[in-house]
Amino acid sequence: MAVMRMGYMHVRVTDLAEAKDHYANTVGLYQTLEQDGRVYYKGWDEWDHHSVVIEEGGVGYVKCGFKCEKPEDVADIETKAIAYGYPVERMVAGENPEVGDGIRVTLPTGHQIEFYSQMTAWGLEVGTHNPDAFPRHMVGIGAPRLDHALLWVDDVAGIEKFFMECTGMWATERVQTSLDDDAHTIATWLTIGESNHDIALLEAPENKIHHFAFEMRGWSDILHAADIFAMDDTPIDIGPTRHGITRGTTIYFFDPAGNRNETFSGGYRCFRDRPTVVWTPDQLGKAIFYHQRELNDRFLTVAT
Amino acid sequence: MPKLTVEAHGVSVELRDDETILEGLYRNGFAYRIGCRRGGCAICKVDLLQGEVFYNRPVADSVLSESERAGGTCLSCRAVAVTDVSIAMREDDDLRRVSTLMALYAASRTG
Repeated sequence: MAVMRMGYMHVRVTDLAEAKDHYANTVGLYQTLEQDGRVYYKGWDEWDHHSVVIEEGGVGYVKCGFKCEKPEDVADIETKAIAYGYPVERMVAGENPEVGDGIRVTLPTGHQIEFYSQMTAWGLEVGTHNPDAFPRHMVGIGAPRLDHALLWVDDVAGIEKFFMECTGMWATERVQTSLDDDAHTIATWLTIGESNHDIALLEAPENKIHHFAFEMRGWSDILHAADIFAMDDTPIDIGPTRHGITRGTTIYFFDPAGNRNETFSGGYRCFRDRPTVVWTPDQLGKAIFYHQRELNDRFLTVAT
Repeated sequence: MPKLTVEAHGVSVELRDDETILEGLYRNGFAYRIGCRRGGCAICKVDLLQGEVFYNRPVADSVLSESERAGGTCLSCRAVAVTDVSIAMREDDDLRRVSTLMALYAASRTG
């Protein structure tokens, strides 16, 4: 397996102090570095140096990174991405603090995606020797790890094909205009391993980030997270609820700059021979919000 | 306390000090199309017809440009009235009263 997971998400925030309070005290991430106006965080169940980077000035997507198992895997993606026709540049160790050599692919949408195989080890908060089930003094919702992101793109099929052909991902679920073979793809959920998605793509008029998500340990932690959001006056887009797509349980909420975050839990195991689930637009409400079965004003209309 | 008027809807509410236009309308039992409430998504924009507002947080240029500000566009989730203000909802949006109780008792508070 070449790519292992989404390793980091880097976004802009309008007010660094407020964003730091959100990601440290509400989301419960651990700050590992602050340097050059950027702050780096990891979740308690992550061992690499960072998984979230925030940067002051503006709002929205800067870039994300996928961690590969070996340098050869990065080289393989480089060859395939060049052949696919997307701009690729090399990045050197240290260009991103604590991240090794890698490549940066620029999608036609302008989204930059980095692939790397080495990041400074930090260690799990519970350690690896006879560990406890979770850290004794978690903060906020205690998000264990970064899980996935959903990007707004203007060409879902083209970018889906890039991820499938160049990184080995495959689609667990899609929204498409019909059940016909020549249907237009409106959205896709792409996975590397056995989770429902590592990256998802949604057709939109602008190229932005819709949300990035943290994996939680089940429905009770999702409900607890919603209580924390109420205490911290964190705006909730929707939830706690369930998705039809992926069957995952969820809350969508916003950081103090308006970037959408998600707590996600559940879903099902996705073996590579599993048939792709297809949803049609007439069922979009149920597909996205399984209980409400209708969309709200903002879910498909705003992104940063 | 500055007064907020939405003339086309016959609505007039008192805004508390440091309260945004969005917060004031919701406290009074109204609702309209809003998104992140944190200045990032831009869908709560309204037109400022009269009066002055200031922004209580930095607002990204990509969300509200200089020309929009000059042309009277107001990002309601971050805009705090300095004077009495009059606004209009955008053509594709509406102001709805979702709670008559909140409207009735908006001026009372506890604590």
